[in-house]
Amino acid sequence: MTDSVLTANDLGRAFGSVVALHSVDFEVPPGRIGLVGANGAGKTTLVKILLGILRPTTGTATVFGDDATSEFLPIRSRVGYMPETDCLPLDMTAADFLIHAAGLAGLPRNAARQRGSDVLTLVGLHEERFRRIGSFSTGMKQRTKLAQAIVGHPDLVFLDEPTAGLDPEGRGDMLDLIARLGGFGINVLVSSHILGDIERTCDWVLMLDGGTVIRSGPLDQLVEADVASVEITGDADAVAAFLRAAGADVDSDGRRLIVTASGADPFLLIRDALAETGAGMLSLGPRATTLEDVFLRQGSSQ
Amino acid sequence: MTDSGVVYDLGYKPYEGDKRGRRGAVATTYRDGNYRVLGIKRRARKKILPWALAAFVMVPAVVFVGFAFLLSTFAPEADSPFGSHADYFELTGTIVLLFVALAAPELLIPDRREGVLSIYSSRPLLPDDYVLARFGSLLTVAAGFMLIPQVLMYFGFAALDADGFFSALWSNGGAIPRILAATAVYAIAYTPLALLIATVANRKSAATGVYLGTLLIGTILSAALVEATTMPGRRYTAMLAFGELPTHVNDWIWGTSSSEPTPMAMAGFDAWVSLLVIGAVAVIATLIVVWRYRRLL
Repeated sequence: MTDSVLTANDLGRAFGSVVALHSVDFEVPPGRIGLVGANGAGKTTLVKILLGILRPTTGTATVFGDDATSEFLPIRSRVGYMPETDCLPLDMTAADFLIHAAGLAGLPRNAARQRGSDVLTLVGLHEERFRRIGSFSTGMKQRTKLAQAIVGHPDLVFLDEPTAGLDPEGRGDMLDLIARLGGFGINVLVSSHILGDIERTCDWVLMLDGGTVIRSGPLDQLVEADVASVEITGDADAVAAFLRAAGADVDSDGRRLIVTASGADPFLLIRDALAETGAGMLSLGPRATTLEDVFLRQGSSQ
Repeated sequence: MTDSGVVYDLGYKPYEGDKRGRRGAVATTYRDGNYRVLGIKRRARKKILPWALAAFVMVPAVVFVGFAFLLSTFAPEADSPFGSHADYFELTGTIVLLFVALAAPELLIPDRREGVLSIYSSRPLLPDDYVLARFGSLLTVAAGFMLIPQVLMYFGFAALDADGFFSALWSNGGAIPRILAATAVYAIAYTPLALLIATVANRKSAATGVYLGTLLIGTILSAALVEATTMPGRRYTAMLAFGELPTHVNDWIWGTSSSEPTPMAMAGFDAWVSLLVIGAVAVIATLIVVWRYRRLL
């Protein structure tokens, strides 16, 4: 893939005897990328390697084709970063901090002043721009963190757990903002363990578990609706056996069967099974695969 | 005028101008450091101490020039009783020491405690750049504290000179390199050690206290050991009076002797030894700070 935003080749990182990343390979196209995994899966380590903050123990990683280890300064001129942890100077106003952050991104003074004001408006903090950050609520601080990450108009922004600590309304606002970034020409990598956030904002998913990549691909291919749920009256075991013989995966919970049919229509298989066994049904419906299903299925098969 | 308005969504305007990369990031860090140590763009209480100390270094110079003006007007034949450049460095040296003790923790500790270093580490900036920009900020402002009143006195006294302004500037021109040298010695002596202590301290007040305490105890200890004991090699303990070393060099630069002899002078050391100790401490302290920040950033 020639226009990959991010690549990794046999990428590994260990902290003493603890292996955070192990032989990671991926190629990710432009767009909104979700980096998902449980706490400790290696998400933050991967982001820090891509930013050149950490050096990999093995392998290589690139951002826009530049090596993340040897060419991290040019990379940092093109990316923004919203850390998960506290990172705001509490005794500065939001406006002054944004000007400072824009300067650190390389913008000249006048441009930094203009960009700081524009971006604070974008994240909904224009009215609060002359307040000290120390007096902000958690939601306002998260928006300030996002603002500093995009104030230099990066080509790619890394967002590490952007909805951490937010209430449902604040979380919704933050996800809406993230979803809009793609329209501004900013590629986004959202690192999160909240799979619903990724489903709502991203179009490509990179799934990490235990320091290895377990899935990488377009979101719509991972969560396609190829699953049906049926409640049987009669011999449910016979129906399940017929479906398994036909190549479907069947999870049985008494009379309720969850039928996954890769490459086939699960509803047609269920119709055939009912006709063959003479069983009846109480209910039948689609069950869309969620990222959580994919993650749990992949995790359990590792 | 219409009676209905239209709301335009101006949307997002991408930045399409040049980015200055590492050079811009270093300049921004340096400028922020200058603002921070002077309390600029910070709440009012953070401005009080730096600007009060700035007033303390400036007011005597203004008063000296003012009295010199009165003297030149009303008693032009009288000798000027006002302080020389060398004396003024002794006065401002103490004030700059206090300023550095307060400013160095303000410069480094909040960035670490509030997690702001993670912002710096994602920008086109190396750890060494961060340290040297911060170092440069403190050095610049501390040097400014020493230099500005000296420049005021230099031009002020020249303006009042009976031989005329330009003639006085020319005849006193030898003072300029001495002023610059003395300024550099005081600033380089005081700032690296303060930054080193601020690098390992977690609280600003603790860093200020440890720095002032170290210099004070060193001075008392060295004076006591040099004067009051007969132990072999006691003269070398004069080097513990680190806060007094720039005064020793200042006396040498101006060819004067301070009102109270420094421990190094009492121990019979030449000024170049003090200069060597100042340089060695500055280099070692800076290297330790750089090493520490390479692990943090």
